[in-house]
Amino acid sequence: MASTFVAAFEILSFGAIIVLVVLGLGIIASMMGIFNFAQGEFVLLGAYVTYLAYSHGMPVWSGMVGAPFLVGAFGFVLEALIIRRFYATPIVAMLGTYALGLIIREVVRGLIGGFYLTVPEPIGGSIDIGTVHVSAWRFTIIVITLLVMGACYLLLSRTSFGLRVRATLENPALARASGISTPLIYGATFAFGAALAGLAGALIVPVFSLFADLGIRFLIQGFVAVMVGGVGSFIGPVAGAGVIGTLSAALPWIMSPVVADVLVFVLAIAFVKFRPQGLIAGKGV
Amino acid sequence: MLIIALVLPLVLEDYLTVFATRVVILALFALSFDLVWGYAGIMSFGQALFFGSAGYGVALLARDLDITSILLVLPAGALIGLAFSLLLGGFLLLGRNPSSVIFVSLGTLTGSYAADRLARGWYYLGGQNGIPSISSMTLGGYEFSEGPVYYYLALAILVVVYLLCRFLVRSQFGLALAGLRENEARIAFFGYQTQHLKAIVFTVGGAIAGLAGSLYAFHEGFVWPNMVGVVVSTQVVLYVLFGGSGTLIGAVIGTAIIEGVSFWLSDNYRDIWPIILGVLLLLVIMFRPLGLISFVLGERERVGSFGVKAKEKRDAAS
Repeated sequence: MASTFVAAFEILSFGAIIVLVVLGLGIIASMMGIFNFAQGEFVLLGAYVTYLAYSHGMPVWSGMVGAPFLVGAFGFVLEALIIRRFYATPIVAMLGTYALGLIIREVVRGLIGGFYLTVPEPIGGSIDIGTVHVSAWRFTIIVITLLVMGACYLLLSRTSFGLRVRATLENPALARASGISTPLIYGATFAFGAALAGLAGALIVPVFSLFADLGIRFLIQGFVAVMVGGVGSFIGPVAGAGVIGTLSAALPWIMSPVVADVLVFVLAIAFVKFRPQGLIAGKGV
Repeated sequence: MLIIALVLPLVLEDYLTVFATRVVILALFALSFDLVWGYAGIMSFGQALFFGSAGYGVALLARDLDITSILLVLPAGALIGLAFSLLLGGFLLLGRNPSSVIFVSLGTLTGSYAADRLARGWYYLGGQNGIPSISSMTLGGYEFSEGPVYYYLALAILVVVYLLCRFLVRSQFGLALAGLRENEARIAFFGYQTQHLKAIVFTVGGAIAGLAGSLYAFHEGFVWPNMVGVVVSTQVVLYVLFGGSGTLIGAVIGTAIIEGVSFWLSDNYRDIWPIILGVLLLLVIMFRPLGLISFVLGERERVGSFGVKAKEKRDAAS
């Protein structure tokens, strides 16, 4: 009983991490139609900001609060300077953002060297439920993921900003004609996606420690999750991330980790092949 | 260019000849990607899957079955690349619903990543360390080891494959491929089976990548998981984009420039070279989407023309 519970918790917390990473990727892919290869590096930047704050003697949580804003602002600038040119051609956008990601990753690698740097958990210790102990920080990540998911959903479905974003997504020409500044909306959406990635990086750095290839680890899983979930809505990528995260955490419990690792990708690609629109089809929130 | 390549081993020191051989083999690999992306417009972000799996395949042949004859291992490498690309390409490209460009690019990327993970975790394939100390390729009693002979072997194969590719892209088939890249719907309206065309060129690309992979494995003497993974997959994309996709010579030039500069800089500026590479690549993508070759060649060269009439017209125009 206790071990089942531990397994379930592990699966849930890993699923939450994947969802958190994919949220930003999914929003950019769905709302703007480009797959951002630099997303993993935004995660890395968020982690790096947290580490910087910690190494300068500030409390870890202050870095975590600051990371989304800094990375978001950085994303906004990048969008205005570079990404904006790529919207017409999705493949060129992939290559361009790949080049951007390469630059960011190598700069960070130059700054931290080839080390694995650890950042302590701002909330240490464990929570005891009956006889089992679960890591308090992982539990916090699950809670924050749920809160962020809810907040994003409300932002996109209930606020006037969300309405503008959705209008720009569905019919840019009409949105422009109605007086919505579509370039500004694109910039804001990209910045928002980047900020979510920054938050993800800040939250997971105590679990995975900081190293230059931190982002790549999640990038491909993120892409697969977005494809499985379906591009074009907010819910789709989140659902996809839930499925992929749960599968990749759950399968190693019942078969050899190597086989499980590959099987997740094979299953996902096969699924997308036969259902190209993904789990949840259609546009909207 | 060919003349320079021919005399190169005579003037270079030994370790530079080894480096030049590596560049020639990688150029062969770049050619395979250029055929798939530059001509047919299929974004194969996992070309290393065919390169690396052929490398692993011939390494296993040499290790477990003691087969090192050049007459067997090179065709075997090409065949492995062909088989894998047929499998993956057939799955991704064929079918009732035509696949989107995004799906194909992410699908190939995922395939390559999954292969990387598999190679890392599978003990039979050597895990993280790969397969070290592969014995040399042989022909009868002769052993091909690193040096001028291997260089000429690789160069000869590159030239032959280059000429074959040139013949291919100048044929009716190649024209249809360029049409696919420019406007797929229109080619479909002409009655071409676009999905079949794509699958064929993808497989040809896979076979060439496999050939390059087997040459590479025997040249380096070992294979390791990165060879099938995302790192090498994206590297080949960089070569071709940098040199100029959609021209065969662009792929070769891009490989030579990137590898050459990286070799030259790596002594002093090893740390910042990837950053410079990223910046250069970004500039090329933003301002010269057709690559460095577009400084010399016009856009019309990429689209291609066919037959005697087209040639006359071209001559008249120039």
